[in-house]
Amino acid sequence: MSDAPETTDVEDKRADQDALESRFQATPDIHDSWDASFIVTADVLRDALIALRDEFAYNVLIDITTIDYLSHAQHDGERFAVSYNLKSLSSGDRIRLKVWVSEEEAEIVSVHDVWKNANWLEREAWDQYGVSFIGHPNQKRLLNHIDFKGHPLRKDFPVRKRQELSVNDAMLDELEARLQGKGYAVLEQGSPAGVKA
Amino acid sequence: MSDETTAPASIPEELSQQFTNEGGFLATKLDTVINWGRSNSLWPFPFGTACCAIEFMGTVSSVFDLSRFGAELVRFSPRQADLLLVAGTITYKQAPILKQIYDQMCEPKWVVAIGACASSGGFYDCYCTVPGIDHIIPVDVYVAGCPPRPEAILESLVQIQNKIGDEKVSTTHVEASS
Repeated sequence: MSDAPETTDVEDKRADQDALESRFQATPDIHDSWDASFIVTADVLRDALIALRDEFAYNVLIDITTIDYLSHAQHDGERFAVSYNLKSLSSGDRIRLKVWVSEEEAEIVSVHDVWKNANWLEREAWDQYGVSFIGHPNQKRLLNHIDFKGHPLRKDFPVRKRQELSVNDAMLDELEARLQGKGYAVLEQGSPAGVKA
Repeated sequence: MSDETTAPASIPEELSQQFTNEGGFLATKLDTVINWGRSNSLWPFPFGTACCAIEFMGTVSSVFDLSRFGAELVRFSPRQADLLLVAGTITYKQAPILKQIYDQMCEPKWVVAIGACASSGGFYDCYCTVPGIDHIIPVDVYVAGCPPRPEAILESLVQIQNKIGDEKVSTTHVEASS
């Protein structure tokens, strides 16, 4: 193999990190032992993600997740952080953006229209941590049952809490929407017995 | 019994004692005949959600061969099955589905909880896992193991057969709950 790409990779990596720092006032996440992790503010998050996607070819959104820092020993700041993990298929680079979210607001702008898969990732993050995504078209529970109360991955969710859930949660709405999009007619919405109207 | 008794080996003892070729009929109890038929022609419904279901596949396939016990006709419709095999972790989100499947099965019906998760929730002690399917539906036989060996699943089937042998046709298997 040639030795040229290695230097180019390093320069490319610096270019996107420089852009984050200069244009979006991103700061390296010093608590993260991995060097490609940056903290940005909520108001530039969306622009930063679009710039990474369009200008630096981070074309895969690997995951959106939330971190609950409640009772974390080395942390005194906002309670939540929403983390965006990106990967570039062309260069193989990965980068992570982190945004602080306060417990009182507990909301962040949605990027469902930047990456399609952000739709379900944001639903999962809201379901498990209760951080709301502003502008999300269909923010309802993804992993937990529709009648589930609370957000179970928050640190203050009671460990021993159990919930009896009796409704059959079939999640047919999206299936029916896709069928209708393909030209099928849905005769009866949510037809199986037990599904809530 | 006389020397003319030529009962096949698979006929239970209480049947074979009365089995004779003379006259081409046999006299026995209704319970014995019906339970003999039920216990040797169980139709399982595999409710497989995790690795225990893989062990069930091994149990059905040729090496262990569930059909030796008359329960090879695996049905995927609860209307056609009388033995519910719950193999795997049941979450609270899935619990209403399991309950509905159980309700759709016709009487008489039996339930086997295969493996640690179905029996007790296993090592999942968390917000989303049912700590044993007996929180939702009645269970006849529990099978230990994570996952259990196919021999253990076969043993549970034999236990179900023995349990069926003790039942009376005139009594109902499960009381209806409101």
